[in-house]
Amino acid sequence: MKIRASTIVGSIIMLVLIAYVVMPIATVFLWAFAEKWTYPALLPTEWGLKYWHTTLARADVLSALRLSLALSVTVTLLSAVICLPAAYAFARMEFVGRRTFMMSFLAINAFPRFGLIVMIATLFLSLRLVGTFWGIVLVQLLNTMLIMIWLPSAAFRGVDRRLEEAARDVGAGPVRTFIRITIPQAAPAIGAAMLLTFVSTFYETEGAWLVGAPKLRTMPMVMLQMITGQIVVQYGAVLSVLLWVPSFIALLFARRVLASNQFAKGFGA
Amino acid sequence: MGSEGTSTRNLKGLLLIGPPLAVMVCLLLYPAGVSIVQTLQETAADGSVSWSLARYHRFFTDPYSVANYVRTVWTTVVTLILLIAICLPIAIYLHFTRSRLAAVVQALALFPMFVPGIIVAYALIRYIGPNGLLQSLLEVVGFNSYSSPYLTPWGPVIGLVWDHMPLTLLILTAGMAKVSQEAIEAARDVGAGYVVIFHRIILPLMVESLLVVMALNVISLFGSFVIPYMLGPASPEMMGPYMLRTFSEVRQPDFAAAQAVITFLTCSVFGILYVVMLTRKQDV
Repeated sequence: MKIRASTIVGSIIMLVLIAYVVMPIATVFLWAFAEKWTYPALLPTEWGLKYWHTTLARADVLSALRLSLALSVTVTLLSAVICLPAAYAFARMEFVGRRTFMMSFLAINAFPRFGLIVMIATLFLSLRLVGTFWGIVLVQLLNTMLIMIWLPSAAFRGVDRRLEEAARDVGAGPVRTFIRITIPQAAPAIGAAMLLTFVSTFYETEGAWLVGAPKLRTMPMVMLQMITGQIVVQYGAVLSVLLWVPSFIALLFARRVLASNQFAKGFGA
Repeated sequence: MGSEGTSTRNLKGLLLIGPPLAVMVCLLLYPAGVSIVQTLQETAADGSVSWSLARYHRFFTDPYSVANYVRTVWTTVVTLILLIAICLPIAIYLHFTRSRLAAVVQALALFPMFVPGIIVAYALIRYIGPNGLLQSLLEVVGFNSYSSPYLTPWGPVIGLVWDHMPLTLLILTAGMAKVSQEAIEAARDVGAGYVVIFHRIILPLMVESLLVVMALNVISLFGSFVIPYMLGPASPEMMGPYMLRTFSEVRQPDFAAAQAVITFLTCSVFGILYVVMLTRKQDV
């Protein structure tokens, strides 16, 4: 049997990607369940869940988790309330400057994020928003707008207008048509946008650090400290596995949207 | 909607997009404007305000600041080159191959999208760091002179390539859609080799996607924080960690703002390029 060239190329790419992409994550999982792992052993020499108990018993971890969840929920809901009506307007209404305004939202990516965060934080210093919950919410809100407008807007555009017209024909009012016909069709994309926003806000580090520290400490900040502190390797590993697995499962639900052309188009592809 | 007047329609639309627009003005245009103006001003002891380039002069005459800036440019350029060198072949491979293997390759290459930067950084420390798993694995196959890139300038490069691979690949595969199988086969029929096909057919069609990839990545890489902070050397450091330290530890928000403005100006060329590429799209 002749092996095709594309199979050889594909196999090489796959092996490189496994070594580069998968192995680091696998290492974290091994560390999370290792009680002892000394170099140069290829696998932990003692396995166990001891560090799960000690990590979860830490007060700083629990309070940071609470703060991060509260922030992510607040930012996601606020972003949805602000952006979803705009997404609908961009998709379904004709008004002056529609295209220009849409462009201006996509152009948020044209600004270096960290530079912008430093500028916002400098402004917040004089507004006394540094060290406050709402200060962090505001600094994180800006990052979420692009996805919260772009993805739902594409979904609203894709709603089958014939169904809406049919509903109107049999006597449904505009509000009822919107709730019963339009929203359900756009719901998967809206859900995906909200999941993405929630997860990315949970892991947002720069804005929360500049505006929140040292008073308010979010989960990523606690993780950073545990990782760079490095006294016990397993703390970081346990937290990584513990926090990443739920977010990974959440993102898997959104994967069809994430890996799509529509998502890439939001970035100008 | 035909019964509505143009002005009613305009008003409705603008009202709906008003809130996010207000957020953008308050959290983007206003802070940026204020920062740019304030970093150009100096307040004297008697309270009078005068224009001054002192902070920028300080940045460009301070060897440490300049070294950080140069390190940031170097990291950005090297990472960008590596990203394209890795993602373009994968995009070409994925475009021409329909197999289970190709699906696995695509899933693996997009996987980093599902992993937050902070976890990647931690994972790479444990994997490529000194006495990490990679070193143990290499020693098993008899390679004993591994020196870890962790805390060297290559640490952030490795992490940033990891982090930026999925979006780069998505944009390049979207661009590859323009390359038709027929065009390639026609070229093959008249005897064109792989190099000619790449150079004459694929590359010209991919120019736009490559420009978008370049602009987007430069802007994102130049201001990256978590990965260089965790994987890079402490000195010189990239602009992200430098700005954070200047703001939070050294407590000089004015100087941090000046560094942010310099970051803005450096990226502005690519920002403009990015916006130009966006406006050329028809389906927005």
